[in-house]
Amino acid sequence: MKRLLSLLLGIAAICVLLAFSANKLQSTSGDSSAKVLNLYNWGDYIDPALITKFQKETGYHVNVETFDSNEAMFTKIKQGGTSYDLTVPSDYMIEKMRAAHLLKPLDKSRLTGFANLDARFTNQSFDPHNRYSVPYFWGTLGIIYNDQSIKPEEVQHWNDLWQPKFKNKIMLIDSTRDVLGFSLVSMNQSMNTTNPAILKAAQAKLNRLSPNVKAVVADEIKMYMTENEAPLAVDWSGEASEMIANNPHLHYVVPTEGSNLWFDNLVIPKTAKHYKAIYAFLNFMLKPENAAQNAEYIGYATPNKKAKALLPKSIRNDKQFYPSDRTIANLQVYSDLSPHTIGLYNDLYLEFKMNHH
Amino acid sequence: MTHRFKLSNLYLFLVFAVLYAPILFLIVFSFSQGDSMSHFHGFTFSHYLALLNDTRLIIIVLQTLLIALLSSLIATIIGTLGALGINQTSRPITRNSILSLNNILIVSPDVIIGASFLIFFTALKIPLGFTTVLLSHIAFSIPIVVLMVLPKLRELGTSMVSAASDLGASNGQILSKIILPYITPGILSGFFMALTYSLDDFAVTFFVTGNGFSTLSVEIYSRARQGISLEINALSGILFLFALVLVVGYYFLNQYQQNRRLKRANREEDIL
Repeated sequence: MKRLLSLLLGIAAICVLLAFSANKLQSTSGDSSAKVLNLYNWGDYIDPALITKFQKETGYHVNVETFDSNEAMFTKIKQGGTSYDLTVPSDYMIEKMRAAHLLKPLDKSRLTGFANLDARFTNQSFDPHNRYSVPYFWGTLGIIYNDQSIKPEEVQHWNDLWQPKFKNKIMLIDSTRDVLGFSLVSMNQSMNTTNPAILKAAQAKLNRLSPNVKAVVADEIKMYMTENEAPLAVDWSGEASEMIANNPHLHYVVPTEGSNLWFDNLVIPKTAKHYKAIYAFLNFMLKPENAAQNAEYIGYATPNKKAKALLPKSIRNDKQFYPSDRTIANLQVYSDLSPHTIGLYNDLYLEFKMNHH
Repeated sequence: MTHRFKLSNLYLFLVFAVLYAPILFLIVFSFSQGDSMSHFHGFTFSHYLALLNDTRLIIIVLQTLLIALLSSLIATIIGTLGALGINQTSRPITRNSILSLNNILIVSPDVIIGASFLIFFTALKIPLGFTTVLLSHIAFSIPIVVLMVLPKLRELGTSMVSAASDLGASNGQILSKIILPYITPGILSGFFMALTYSLDDFAVTFFVTGNGFSTLSVEIYSRARQGISLEINALSGILFLFALVLVVGYYFLNQYQQNRRLKRANREEDIL
């Protein structure tokens, strides 16, 4: 009994100590007064130095919380009970959140620096006239190749992947829309098609790619490619830039005939409370020097024209991640499809994966 | 005979090697100068320094430990009382149905428990954060504690308790002098099980975190989109070392107490 009691007291004491030190740390890392901003972001998707700078400049304390998928974020916001002021959904999710009335429209009169953004990346189909969202980062889907065994001219287009000589050499990112999507583009079809016949044809074409596909994998694809496990892969530009940083033999190509163009945009969810802080933060992130610093830290492409001009030449002129105007004109943004069509996409994709093994 | 002995040793060694190799691999790379786990680039402490400067991560670690300790403490108290209550029920049907209800909570998927908590808390308009995480951790830990304490109570049986009451012990005395000391090992193992469950829970916690409050598993999982930095390796190394020290410390403490008890018993024998 005595032993149990002393254990109980000991643990309680440790708890008090922990609570005290956590509180103390929190108050030293920024003042915890009412001037706060709750940012709900992807994990490690902002330069921490920028948060510190923002807190110093404006006096707002930023609480960062993180999520790992659009769907998870959607659920948390929809359910309520939180007070997130800003979040960063991808394109199709913005459309979905808008339809579900989860977003608050932007007050453009309070935004400064919106004109810094490249007009090619504003006014997209998922958010006409940017009534709800400010572009944060953008990127593409493309082909990664290893120059030790593949010549650049061999893989400039999606159809090149079907060549018999690439038997068992390609790794695909495990993503329904992207894998079916590049098959659709290779057939000159829209990546947002809802026509079952066209989708079936795209799947049939994918099945013919099967002998060339070594594996369909998720995040591990980065590791496999850096380790030279396969000479070819289909993946997103953000992932590609990381692979290239770790293995200089890798290169990234966005096929000129078209591909996916994705966005992660800042939006104000309906749970928002601290409007002054929100606009201060949006304007802070729209400033060219801050956007450039963030782009250099994250390694994704910035939609901020003036920020891009501030980036080092080697990044700014990199055709892999800032493709030519002609290619950009052919890129397609995913739209939010009906649950029925999404089900069809998923079924066809699953069949393709089952066929493969 | 000796041959079989060696083979079993080898088997044991292999099992432990398989269990510990990934952790050691992780820790070794926390000292690498590179940014990924693909190649070792030479020795450095830089990831540990980065960890020390990452106030956000340290706050999250402290919060995680706080939640784990506090929730398992409260769950242990409630669970032990619950086990005592279940043990008291005389009708087997009542007891079995309460036990089944208890076990269902253990086997049902975390995702479902988490989602139902989220709906529950938001329906009650409780803002998500420390309180909700604490409450849900307590809730999913209680059944584990009950399951750990109950066998010890069964083992105790009724003879000791009746003997004590025959000799004039009050209910309070029976509880504090007979029952609790006897079931202490069960309570402790229940506490530690609850602690480990709480520390590494992701699914339930993910749903009920909010408003700036987060735990380590949620944070690490969210960081995985960008590839996990070696800072996380450094943190894992420290936590592993911490756990190791705790276990070894607990072992020696136990040994020490047992020795003392043995010595005391010997002395009493000598006196007699």
